[in-house]
Amino acid sequence: MDPDRDDAARLRRGDTDGLAGLMQRHQDRLFRFLLRLTGDEPMAEDVFQQTWLQVAERIGRYDAARPFGPWLFTVARNLALDQLRRIRPQSLDEAGEPAAPTGIGDDPLARAMAGQRSSRLADAVARLAPLDREVLSLRFEAELELPQLAETLGVPVPTAKARLYRALARLRPRLLAHAPQEEWR
Amino acid sequence: MSGHVSELLPLAAAGALDAREQAQVAAHLGACEACAREAAAWRDVAAGLGQLPASRPSRALVARTVEAVEVFLAERAERAWNRAALGFLIAFAWTLAVLSWVVIDLVAGGLALRLDRPVGPTAAWYAAYVLTGWLAAGVATAFAGRRAPQEGRIA
Repeated sequence: MDPDRDDAARLRRGDTDGLAGLMQRHQDRLFRFLLRLTGDEPMAEDVFQQTWLQVAERIGRYDAARPFGPWLFTVARNLALDQLRRIRPQSLDEAGEPAAPTGIGDDPLARAMAGQRSSRLADAVARLAPLDREVLSLRFEAELELPQLAETLGVPVPTAKARLYRALARLRPRLLAHAPQEEWR
Repeated sequence: MSGHVSELLPLAAAGALDAREQAQVAAHLGACEACAREAAAWRDVAAGLGQLPASRPSRALVARTVEAVEVFLAERAERAWNRAALGFLIAFAWTLAVLSWVVIDLVAGGLALRLDRPVGPTAAWYAAYVLTGWLAAGVATAFAGRRAPQEGRIA
């Protein structure tokens, strides 16, 4: 039995233990995704809270025959994109100001521990457009398979595949520009 | 070496190729050193993307979120209970009104609701009394209802 489905059913009945179970399993990767997409920790925190509120409100619409993860990420991405559109005059498909490096924080020790190479990769990702960061985070951090990725983005599988390719293709020159010759290639 | 598969390598590292494309890539990599090197580089990138430094939601954020959801669920439960209570009260009041009309008419001298008898003055006064009462209650409910939804209670 899928624990997500059990917990979703409990939450539908108003049982907050259901929420606790769902949060415990999904909160880390959800927060990571929101940090990556928004590039802004306060906004990610705000959307994180709104997401779980909306999950509680709309849990009746969740189809228990499908996996919970993509549904959760769909709720979260819609909220995050709404917020981003309010503050970004330019398209979310264009790289604007680089997003703040997320997840490393200001702690010098944490930065050192993160490693230079990983740090360069995080910086390169932060310089991508929000929609590119989104698809990379969903595939590699949230570990959604291509069909789930397409479901979350609300597009057909070939379109999701094309978006994933485009994001990786846009990442490549950013990595090459900042990496030593022997790395990545 | 002709027929390089560079275009497919990023998606191969992302695990996003279909079976035919995977076979095409596998066949080519065995014979092309340049593409094999690039494929290895993309695998590194893919592995790195899955291990980017990332912070977790703070305990305070999680606690705030749980509390907000609990408040929302409690308010929703209260609203549902209020709606059920209001429905029951309306059904009960109408049942009582109709039954008492029949009882009073019987006591006052016969069943006025029968079609072959005119409605007597007692029944007419009672009907006026019930309608006035419901009209007043309706007006009061409408006024109270303008504020109640935001507070999550009947009035």
